[in-house]
Amino acid sequence: MEEFFQQLTNGLAVGGIYALIALGYTMVYGVMKLINFAHGDLFTIGAYLGLTLLLSFGLFDKIGPLAAVGVLAIMVMILVAIIGALLERVAYKPLRRSPRLTAVVSALGASIFFQNTIMAIYSPKFLVYPHDILPKMAVNILGLDVPIIRILMFLTSLALMAALYFFIQKTKIGTAIRAAAIDQGAAKLMGINVDRVIMLVFCIGPALGGAAGLMVGLYYGQVNFSMGWMYGLKAFTAAILGGIGNIPGAMVGGLLLGVIEALGAAYISIAWKDAIAFCVLILILIVRPTGLLGERVAEKV
Amino acid sequence: MNKRLITLGCLTLALLVLAIGPAWAKTIRIGLMCPLTGSWASEGQDMKQIVELLAAETNKAGGIDGAQVEIVIEDDGGDPRQAALAATRLTTKDIAAVIGTYGSSITEASQNIYAESGILQVATGSTAIRLSEKNLPLFFRTCPRDDEQGLVAAKTLTSLGFSKIAILHDNTSYAKGLADEAKALLEKDGKTIVFYDALTPGERDYNAILTKLKSADPEVIFFTAYYPEAGMLLRQKMEMNWNVPMIGGDATNNPDLVKIAGNKAAEGYMFLSPPVPADLDTPEAKAFMTAYQGAYGSAPGSVWAVLAGDAYRVIAEAIAKTGDTSGEKLAAYLKANLKDFPGLTGTVSFNDKGDRVGDLYRVYKVDANGAFVLQP
Repeated sequence: MEEFFQQLTNGLAVGGIYALIALGYTMVYGVMKLINFAHGDLFTIGAYLGLTLLLSFGLFDKIGPLAAVGVLAIMVMILVAIIGALLERVAYKPLRRSPRLTAVVSALGASIFFQNTIMAIYSPKFLVYPHDILPKMAVNILGLDVPIIRILMFLTSLALMAALYFFIQKTKIGTAIRAAAIDQGAAKLMGINVDRVIMLVFCIGPALGGAAGLMVGLYYGQVNFSMGWMYGLKAFTAAILGGIGNIPGAMVGGLLLGVIEALGAAYISIAWKDAIAFCVLILILIVRPTGLLGERVAEKV
Repeated sequence: MNKRLITLGCLTLALLVLAIGPAWAKTIRIGLMCPLTGSWASEGQDMKQIVELLAAETNKAGGIDGAQVEIVIEDDGGDPRQAALAATRLTTKDIAAVIGTYGSSITEASQNIYAESGILQVATGSTAIRLSEKNLPLFFRTCPRDDEQGLVAAKTLTSLGFSKIAILHDNTSYAKGLADEAKALLEKDGKTIVFYDALTPGERDYNAILTKLKSADPEVIFFTAYYPEAGMLLRQKMEMNWNVPMIGGDATNNPDLVKIAGNKAAEGYMFLSPPVPADLDTPEAKAFMTAYQGAYGSAPGSVWAVLAGDAYRVIAEAIAKTGDTSGEKLAAYLKANLKDFPGLTGTVSFNDKGDRVGDLYRVYKVDANGAFVLQP
């Protein structure tokens, strides 16, 4: 039983990251019906920018770990949001009137471009965040030693997701995003600047992806230029699992995927972990073709 | 009439220049196929740096029999499909021989292409057994084979007194081959394999695997895959406060392992590997270390890139001694006449299959400062 709970926390920790990245996929899909394949690379950029900023400002020595992580997260999110907006302007906006396939090809191209740019700038070697910058304490929950960092990481991703949910549901801009997701033409007629909404979506999604990248960098320590591929693929799966275009769906899908992977690894086979996760995905899609929470078409974003 | 004569004269002259020109500026072209992009890009870029450095040295010393050496590089991306394309391109570039490549499945995709064009191939990091069991007379490699490593692994684990062993690989043909090899030998020896499974490379979080490993309660973990995952495992193992020793295969011989794991987590980690030049006393190894340091300002990354240097050196030696660039002649020379050639990683000789012979593997241990220390 102890092993079960241990694996459950393992799965939730990984799932929180998946969920955070999945939000970026799902938001963009909701508004533009486009799978942004470059999203995983924006996550990588977040991890690398975090490392560069951390090393160049030496924040951890100056203001202590907690404040440093906060400042770092804000800087990374702003920078990645700008890159996301630029990406939209350069790679997707000129294709607004083209068939959807064209935009998907453009997304793949952008992904390759980002990956190789990161490799050219930072070298293909693995880079490592400084060791021992985060406290290594663990708290005892129900007989399990859970590192505090993992709990904080999980809570942070929940908080970011909740903030996004309320932003979309309760604010005027959120309403505009939802309107654009339902019908861009009608939204335009209602006086919504759809171009600006899309730009905004391309700021929020990448910012969350960048935050996830920073979290992965800080906690796991190791970054390399191709890390976004695996996380991007898993997060994309999570978005589909929860129902792509649906924000709570991305959160549920991410957490669920992480837990399925951990439990599959624990009780069936580690080598088959991904196969198990994808089998569950297929089963869910057979029963619910729109994903777990994908039925509320009218509310998707 | 006059005009015609001039035209004819010009044409004859042009033909003469075309015919003689190459003979004047004779160059020997040697191909290098390596992963300059993709997940093994750091290995490939090291391979490129080392081979280019050695070729520049040859050229400075007057070339091979007066002919300058030119290295023709193609990127295989660490991907079998791209490797097949790269190999096809190289075969059209008039190369005498080709060096490469790193991954076994990548080399495999290119083997037949070179064989059909009669080009000598010297692989550098491809240790899978089957590569040299295909009866390809022009295929060589400067790295040892997995079955030899499996043997050394079983011997090392036994001599360290472990009897409950966990084996973890990553389902690549290299890592699984080594894991199977070691498992069979250990079981024949009466050891218990309490855990045998594969992880997914490229992930960051291996806590689920470590939790499961811990419940199997092994005395030692034998990890046969690559260094990025080994580093993450060591780091997360320490965070779990689990002090089981871990021993790795030769693909974990990369200084980045310690960078990823951190000195504290990496201390005590052991791995098997051919010796790196820094641990060899031969004048060749020493001269190479100085030259590399001078050119690039750091020590070479892993032994695999250095093996590309050895591949270059045996090819250059064969061309110099035979005075020929045909694949068959070079292969015949390497098999019959090249004995105990002083390489950068010890002496180099090849058997009839093109495999490097000799007792190559050493055991390394990471010390408290993160340095790899050769075990006696």
